[in-house]
Amino acid sequence: MVTPPEASNLLEVRGLTVCYDTAMLLNNVSLSVGRGELVGLVGPNGAGKTTLLRTVAGLVRWEKQSKQGTRAGNITIAGEVRFDGERIDSLPPHVIARRGLVLCPERRRPFTELTVADNLMAGAYLQKDRRALRETLDMVHQMFPVLKQRARQISGTLSGGEQQMLAIGRALMTRPRLLCVDEPSTGLSPLVKKELFAKISEINRRGITVLLVEQDTALTLSVCARSYVLSHSRIVASGARQDLLADQTVHRSYLGLQSP
Amino acid sequence: MLTDILITTLINASVYAMLATGFSLIFGVARIINLAHTAFYMLAGYFIFSFTTVLGLGLLPAMLLSIALVVVIAVLSYRILIDPMREHEAAVLIITVALAMVFQELMLVFYGGHFRSVPQLVSGYVTVLGVRVSSQYVVTIGALVAILAAVWLVLMKTRLGLAIRATAQDREIANVMGMDVSLISTVTMAIASAQAAAAGALVAPLFILEPRMWLYPLTIVLAIVVLGGIGSLKGSIIASAIIALSETLVTFLLPSGAFLKGAFSLGVMIVVLLIRPEGLFGVSFEGER
Repeated sequence: MVTPPEASNLLEVRGLTVCYDTAMLLNNVSLSVGRGELVGLVGPNGAGKTTLLRTVAGLVRWEKQSKQGTRAGNITIAGEVRFDGERIDSLPPHVIARRGLVLCPERRRPFTELTVADNLMAGAYLQKDRRALRETLDMVHQMFPVLKQRARQISGTLSGGEQQMLAIGRALMTRPRLLCVDEPSTGLSPLVKKELFAKISEINRRGITVLLVEQDTALTLSVCARSYVLSHSRIVASGARQDLLADQTVHRSYLGLQSP
Repeated sequence: MLTDILITTLINASVYAMLATGFSLIFGVARIINLAHTAFYMLAGYFIFSFTTVLGLGLLPAMLLSIALVVVIAVLSYRILIDPMREHEAAVLIITVALAMVFQELMLVFYGGHFRSVPQLVSGYVTVLGVRVSSQYVVTIGALVAILAAVWLVLMKTRLGLAIRATAQDREIANVMGMDVSLISTVTMAIASAQAAAAGALVAPLFILEPRMWLYPLTIVLAIVVLGGIGSLKGSIIASAIIALSETLVTFLLPSGAFLKGAFSLGVMIVVLLIRPEGLFGVSFEGER
């Protein structure tokens, strides 16, 4: 099992347990993401992947607080989340985003009634330095030229693949230090998926740490040097790509891949 | 008579548009139906009355001070009473109606049930397109339209406006983009209540003040918001014009029409909704928040 040295870890999750009412969605989950890494988190539907990202981004605690007094607010959270050494598990989501941990959510969720340009500017909400903003926008346009071509288009009218590019572009506009991407491949054709994963690798090569959550195990393992496998709310395996691929039990039970 | 119809329609349409866009804004961003919204309009009128008659202030400073005071009251009401209950929709409805009733009864205690009026900001007449019109009407319409345009510009051209529009679309995603949605909701409440107060302040010299004056505009604002399509500012503005025009036509053209204007306007709303249930410019608010 490959574990990066602690000092270089940007994200440290320790013993995270999350219960919605009586349902346990995360059970004592621990993982870490080192600076500059591209780490995968794979697992079947309902394993708890999205809950893990939402908890790390502060959304589960926010949901608990805003729905206090209702059944939907009956959420229990235990464990520790550290970002760049600082405990962030009691911080509100917007403060966590300001620290540089940014979530690119499941189902893309662009601001559908705003234009593509406004969506990107919403991502740049924290950016006060105009020159830096321009540089980031140029970088996003260079990576996803379609976002420049369709700048004035209402984002709800974009195709699924374009909406995913917009969601990633919007997250990049925040100038994240850790980008958490949740199921970017859902509903996309194999060709668009491949293209998107190449972009995610490129983002990582540009120096941004990435935690990639996916159901498409084969594609995820092909771009991530190190991955975790989450199943039934627990981390059941973790390690370098070749170790996970070599482990027959992991193969059969969790990854659903053909034996090499 | 045509001029009267035009002027009355313009005044009412711009007052309704000010009230309805504020109501829509706070609904969109904070997800609350604020039934106390038009009570802020009423409060502004009474504050001007107090500042001009009791304290002897000039009308313009009294207007500005009243708007500021109403915004403070609205923001405090939002933070202390409404925001903690935001997820309980029925509780918000009850709290905001209760708030409006408290304001109404406080006005009854302090000012009695008599009709009150405030002096005009400007006197005399001006000629518009060959017709003599009271200067106060022209100033009121001009100021209301200018404020609406300013709110529109803030929403469409500024960073705050973008944050308000993004929060109205998806609170959760706005949050993970680093926007403090709680602060943005409070600022939106301040803008919406300032709009209601400004509408109250600007029509105070034209209308009579009485403690129940919030109730009829509230019914009409609800009708406008539903007619225009919940969440659509453009819809609110166009629906304000439709409702104001139908009210004015009924008042001027039918005998005893003034007693029927509410019923007629609400009838127009029902007919439109039968044809387009989502309203004229309905925006879906069914997505994730």
